[in-house]
Amino acid sequence: MTMIDTDISGVPARILQSPKHWRNAKHQSHWRTGDEEFDAAKFGMWLFLSTEVLLFAGIFCGYAIFRMLYPDAWANGSHYLDWRMGAANTAVLLFSSWTAANSVRLAQLDKQFWFKINLIITIICALLFVGIKFTFEYGVKLPVGKAPGTFFSYPYAHDVHEPLWWSLYYVGTGIHAFHVIVGAILFALVLWRAHRYQAYGPTQYTLVENSALYWHIVDLIWIFLFPLLYLIH
Amino acid sequence: MSTPDTHAGHHDEGSYLSGPPGTISRIWQWASTIDHKKIGVMYLFAVLFMFFLGGMSAMAVRYELLDPIRTQTTEFLNASGEIEIVTVTTGESLKELLGAMGIGDSLTGSQIYNRAFTLHGAIMVFMFIIPAIPAALGNFFLPIMLGAKDVAFPRLNLMSWYIYLFGCTFGVLSILLGGVDTGWTFYTPYSTTTDADHWRVVLMVMAAFILGFSSILTGLNFVVTVHKLRAPGMGWFDMPLMIWALYATSIIQVLATPVIGITLLLLVFERLFHIGIFDPSLGGDPVLYQHFFWFYSHPVVYVMILPGMGIISEILAVHSRKHIFGYRAIAFSSLGIAGVSFLVWGHHIFTAMGELAAILFSGLTFLVAIPTAIKMFNWIATLYKSSIVINTPMMYALMFLFTFSIGGLTGLPLATLATDLHLHDSYYVVAHFHYVMMGGTVIAFMGGVHHWWPKMFGKMYNEKAGMLGAAIVFVGFNLTFFTQFFLGTQGMPRRYANYVDEFQTLHVLSSIGAVLLLVGFLIHAAVFFFSLKWGEKAPANPWGGLTLEWECESPPIEHNFHKEPILKHGPYDFETVVPPHCDPKDYPLPENPGKH
Amino acid sequence: MMQTLASAQPDILQKMIFGETPAPSEAAAWSDGLFLMITWFSIFCFVILMALMVFFVIKYRRRPGVPAQPSPHHNLHIEILWTVIPSASMLVMFVYGFWGYSYKIVSPDNALEMRIQGSKWSWIATYPNGSSSPETQPLSKMIVATDTSTSVTQGKEYPIFYVPENTDIRLRMMSTDVIHSFWIPEFRTKMDVVPNRYTGFGFRTPKLTANDTVIYHDAETKKNTTIAGRDMWVFCAEYCGDDHSRMAATLRIVSQEVYDQKMADWSVQLSPIDAGKKIWTQICKSCHETDGTRLVGPTWNSVKNSDGQFGFGYDAELADGSSVMRDANYYRESILDPNAKVVKGFAPAMSSYQGQLSDEDIDNIISYIQSLSDRNPNAGEDAGSSETESDTEAAGSDS
Repeated sequence: MTMIDTDISGVPARILQSPKHWRNAKHQSHWRTGDEEFDAAKFGMWLFLSTEVLLFAGIFCGYAIFRMLYPDAWANGSHYLDWRMGAANTAVLLFSSWTAANSVRLAQLDKQFWFKINLIITIICALLFVGIKFTFEYGVKLPVGKAPGTFFSYPYAHDVHEPLWWSLYYVGTGIHAFHVIVGAILFALVLWRAHRYQAYGPTQYTLVENSALYWHIVDLIWIFLFPLLYLIH
Repeated sequence: MSTPDTHAGHHDEGSYLSGPPGTISRIWQWASTIDHKKIGVMYLFAVLFMFFLGGMSAMAVRYELLDPIRTQTTEFLNASGEIEIVTVTTGESLKELLGAMGIGDSLTGSQIYNRAFTLHGAIMVFMFIIPAIPAALGNFFLPIMLGAKDVAFPRLNLMSWYIYLFGCTFGVLSILLGGVDTGWTFYTPYSTTTDADHWRVVLMVMAAFILGFSSILTGLNFVVTVHKLRAPGMGWFDMPLMIWALYATSIIQVLATPVIGITLLLLVFERLFHIGIFDPSLGGDPVLYQHFFWFYSHPVVYVMILPGMGIISEILAVHSRKHIFGYRAIAFSSLGIAGVSFLVWGHHIFTAMGELAAILFSGLTFLVAIPTAIKMFNWIATLYKSSIVINTPMMYALMFLFTFSIGGLTGLPLATLATDLHLHDSYYVVAHFHYVMMGGTVIAFMGGVHHWWPKMFGKMYNEKAGMLGAAIVFVGFNLTFFTQFFLGTQGMPRRYANYVDEFQTLHVLSSIGAVLLLVGFLIHAAVFFFSLKWGEKAPANPWGGLTLEWECESPPIEHNFHKEPILKHGPYDFETVVPPHCDPKDYPLPENPGKH
Repeated sequence: MMQTLASAQPDILQKMIFGETPAPSEAAAWSDGLFLMITWFSIFCFVILMALMVFFVIKYRRRPGVPAQPSPHHNLHIEILWTVIPSASMLVMFVYGFWGYSYKIVSPDNALEMRIQGSKWSWIATYPNGSSSPETQPLSKMIVATDTSTSVTQGKEYPIFYVPENTDIRLRMMSTDVIHSFWIPEFRTKMDVVPNRYTGFGFRTPKLTANDTVIYHDAETKKNTTIAGRDMWVFCAEYCGDDHSRMAATLRIVSQEVYDQKMADWSVQLSPIDAGKKIWTQICKSCHETDGTRLVGPTWNSVKNSDGQFGFGYDAELADGSSVMRDANYYRESILDPNAKVVKGFAPAMSSYQGQLSDEDIDNIISYIQSLSDRNPNAGEDAGSSETESDTEAAGSDS
C-alpha cells in the first residue's frame, strides 16, 4: 500500500492520530495486503447483492403469476396508482445514485468536505423517497380502503382480485422502502465515521464503495418496480 | 481497519484452546472471538445439542407409534337392563407420558403427536442438518485446508453465529410456548389458519427466516474465502474435495436461501395481515407457496448432503492411503449437483401440479441421479489397490456408501411418475429421505467428527468404543428406516398418529431400531466426553493425511500455521509423499509410483 | 392396452412390498411392475457396489510396512461408461414412468364421475344423482354377546363409498379448507385435494371374484350379512391438522345391482343436473342459451357454428388468440372471474358470482353444462340418452 501524499494541513491532530483515520487504518492480519482485502469485500458485496436480487425475484415471480391469472385486477390496479408520484420517486433515487457514486469518487480524491456533502444529499434523497411513499401513496390509499388482503374495503373495486394486487403492491414497495431505509442508515454510518475520524480516503474506502453498490441495487430494483406497478396497464 | 489485539504475534503462540485465566474472561474470550476455529467449535456443540433435541422428539414420535390411537366404544346392558355406552381412548402414549409429567392437558393425543413430528422436522432441518457440516466442521477446516489464517470476513462469521443463536432462540421459544403443528414445511393454507390466535407459528417461521440469514452469510463468507484465500501454489484443482463440496454448498446457500426468505416473509404477512397471496379464498394460490418453498428447500437438500460427500472423499482417501479416483469427476459432479438442484423442485409437488409440469420435472429429477452415481462409483474405485484400515471414521465412511446407495436407489421410484403417485407422502418417502439425510449426512458428519476430533481438540478418543457405537448406530439405523419402506409401499401415509392394525408389527420394529440408534449415539457422546476429559494427547497427524490441516499442530495454534504454508503436493499424493509429522517407516511409499 | 409389467401371480418380493392382495387394476399392476423392475435394477447395482466394497476392504486391508500399490487416478473410458449406463437406465425409467402416469391419470370419457369433497377431517363423495353415502363403518366391530346390543367398536366411524365393479371411475375433487390428498393405496394413486381448484384421477374397479366378500351392516335392523364386495382404505395423505390420521374412508366395490339399489335408496330430490338447470333458469338464462343460439354470452350446448365450437370438453378460442380446454376448472373460473378468459367474439360483459353462488351451486351448474355436451363424462349414468351415448363413443374414439 502506498501512502498518497495529501494535504493534511488544517486537520486536527486528534483526528489525524486516531487509529480509525484512513491513513492509519490497517488491513486485518489474515490478508496479505489491503488490496486483497478490498477485492474480497467487494466480491462479497456482489454476492450479497445477488441474494437481494433473488429476494425480490420472489415478488416479481408472484407478480407475474397473478398478473397472468387475474389480468383485469392487475390492469385496474395500476390505474389506481399515480404515475407522477412514482416518477418523482424514480427521479429522486436516480439523483441519489449519482451522488452516491460521487461520494465514492470524492473519498478516493480525499475531498472530505464535498464527500460529506454528497453523503448528506444521498441521505436526504432516501428520506425524501420514503416520505413521498408514506405520505402521498400509502397515506392516501390506506384510508380509502385500498389495503392488502382482507383489509381491502375500497367500495368502487371493479374486480374481485384487486385485494391481491394491493397485497403485492404493499409487500413489494414495502420491502423496497425498508431497503431504502437500511441504505440511509448505512450512509449515515459512513457520514458519522467520515465526520468523526475522517475514516475514508484514497486508500481506505471499502464501506463507502459497498454502501454505494448497495444503493445502486436498491435503485435498480425500483427501476423494475416502477414500470411494473405504475406504468403497465 | 484496526488490527484486533488477538491477531498480534505470530510466533510461539499457544493452542487456540488456551485462554486467559478466570471463567468470566474465558467466556468473554469465546463469546467475542472472531477466530473461525472457536466459532466452529461453538457451532459444533450447538448443532450437537440441537441434534439431541431433535433426536428426543424423534424418540417421542416413535414412542407414540408403538401402538395406534383408538377410540373404543363398548355397548352393553347394565344391571337395570338399559343399554350403556362407554367410550375410552387408548394408545395416546405421549399424552399419558406428558400427563405423568403434569403438562399438555389441553391437547389430544394426535395434537401432541403433530407437535412432536413438527418439532423433529423443524429442529433437524433448520437448526441441525443445514448448519451441521458447513458451519461446524466447515468453519473449522475450510480456512485451514486452504492454508489461510481465517475466513475472509471473520466478524461476519461471528455475526452469523449470533444470528444462528438468535434464530434458535425463536424456535425454542415457540416450543416453550406450546409448539407448532404445521409440519416443518409450513404448507399453506393450513399454516396460515392453524392456531390462529397465537404467535407460536409466526415465531417458528421467523426462526427459519432468521436461520436463513445465518446460512447466507456463512455461504457468502466461504465462497469469498475459497476465491481469495487459497495458499500460494494452490490452484483450483489442488483443493481437497471437501473444499469443492463446501464451495458448491455455499453457492446453493447464497442463491437459494433468499427465495425462502421472501417466501417465509410472505407467510408471516399472510398470517398477520391476511394479504391473501397464498389464501385460496382471496384468489391466492396455496400451491404457489409449495413452488416457492421447494425452490429453496430442494437445493437445500444438497446443502445438507454435498458437504457430507466432501467428508467421505477425505476419509476414504486418508484411511485407505489412496489417491482419490476421478478427482475432477467428483469435483465437477459437486458443481453439477448444485446446478441441477435448482431445476428439480417440482418433484415434491407431483400430486398437485399439471401433467406437463409433472413430466418435465420427472425428467429433470433423473438428471440429479447421474452425478450422484458417478460419485459412488469413484469412491468404490478409490478403494481398489489401496491400504485400508478399519477405524471409526472409516467405518462411518463405508456405512455411508451402504446407506447412501440405498437412499439414492430408492429415490428412483420417486422420480418415476407412475410409481410416485403411489409413494408420494407415504412412509416410503420418509424412509427414503432418512436414508439420504441421516444415512448420508448424519453418518458422514459422525465420520467427519471422528476423523477431525484429534485435530480439533488435540485428544484421541477410544477407538474400540467408537467402533462399537458406529456398529450399533448402523444396525439401529437400518432397522428403524428399512422397515418404513415396506410401511410406505403397503399404504401407510406419513404424519399419522393413528394407523390400521396391520402396520403395527413394522412400526414396533422401527421403534426398536430407534432405541438402538439412541444407544449408539449415547455411546458416542460418552466417548467424546471421556476423550475431552482423559483422552491421550493426539499427534499432529494421527491418520497420515496430506491436506494442510495435518500440517498444523493438534489442536492448531491461534493463527493455524507458524508460517504461511506453500503448497508443494496435491491433497491425495499418497504414492509419492510421506505425510507431514509422520515417520517414513510407518508410511512406506511404493517403488514405482503411478502416473499423475 | 398396455402390457402389464407385473406378473398376475405375485411372487414373494411383490407380496413383501405391496401386501398379500394383488393389484386390483391394470394401471396399478403396471405401476407395481415398474416398481419391481426398478427394485431389481437397484438390487443389482447395490449388490455389485457392496460386493466390490467388501472385497476391496478385505483384500486391500492395511498390512504394516506394505504400501498401497499404484493404480491410475482416473480412466476416461470407464468414467464415460459409468456415466452413460446409468443415464440410459434412467431414460428407460422416465419413459415407463410417464406411460404409467398417463395410464393412471387419464380415464375414458364415459367414466363414472364421482365428486369428492375433502374437509377437516372427513371425506364426502357425491354420486352423479346427487346423493352421498350415509353409511359408515368403524375400524372393527366386535359383537361380544349374541344379544346384538352388546358390542365393542374400535375406531371412528368412517364413511363407506360404494362403487360398482368393473367400471371406470373418475374423481373430481376439491377441498373446502386446507390441502388434503386422496389416496387409495390399493389403486396405487393419489392426488392432492386443493381448495378453489378441481383436481382428479381415474381408476378402473376390478371384477369381483368368489373370494371377495364383505360384511354388510344394516343400520336399521342392526343385522350383519355377508355380501359380495371388496373394501379398500382411502387415506388423506397430505398433512391437514389434528385428526389428519383419522381422515379415512372405505371404498367398497360391489356388484352393479347393489350399487344401483344404493343409488335408488339414497336418491335425493334434485340431481345435480336438475339443480344446475334450476339455477340456470334463474340466473344464467338471460345471457347463455342451451339450444345453440348466441346471446350476450356463448351457448352451453356443444354446437359448432360460424362463431366456433362450444360446449364442455371442447377447446375455446379466446379473445387473445390462445385456446383453452373447457373443463370443470375453466367453467368455475368463468363463473368466479368471468373476464379472465373471454371467448373470442364476445364482450367481457359478465360480472363475478363470487359470494353469490356457493361451491355446491357452481358444481351443479357445471354438471348441467356437462350434460349438454356430447363429451359428457356422466352420459349414460342418469341424464344421458342412448343418442348421446353413441356420440360419446364417437368422440371418445377420435380423442
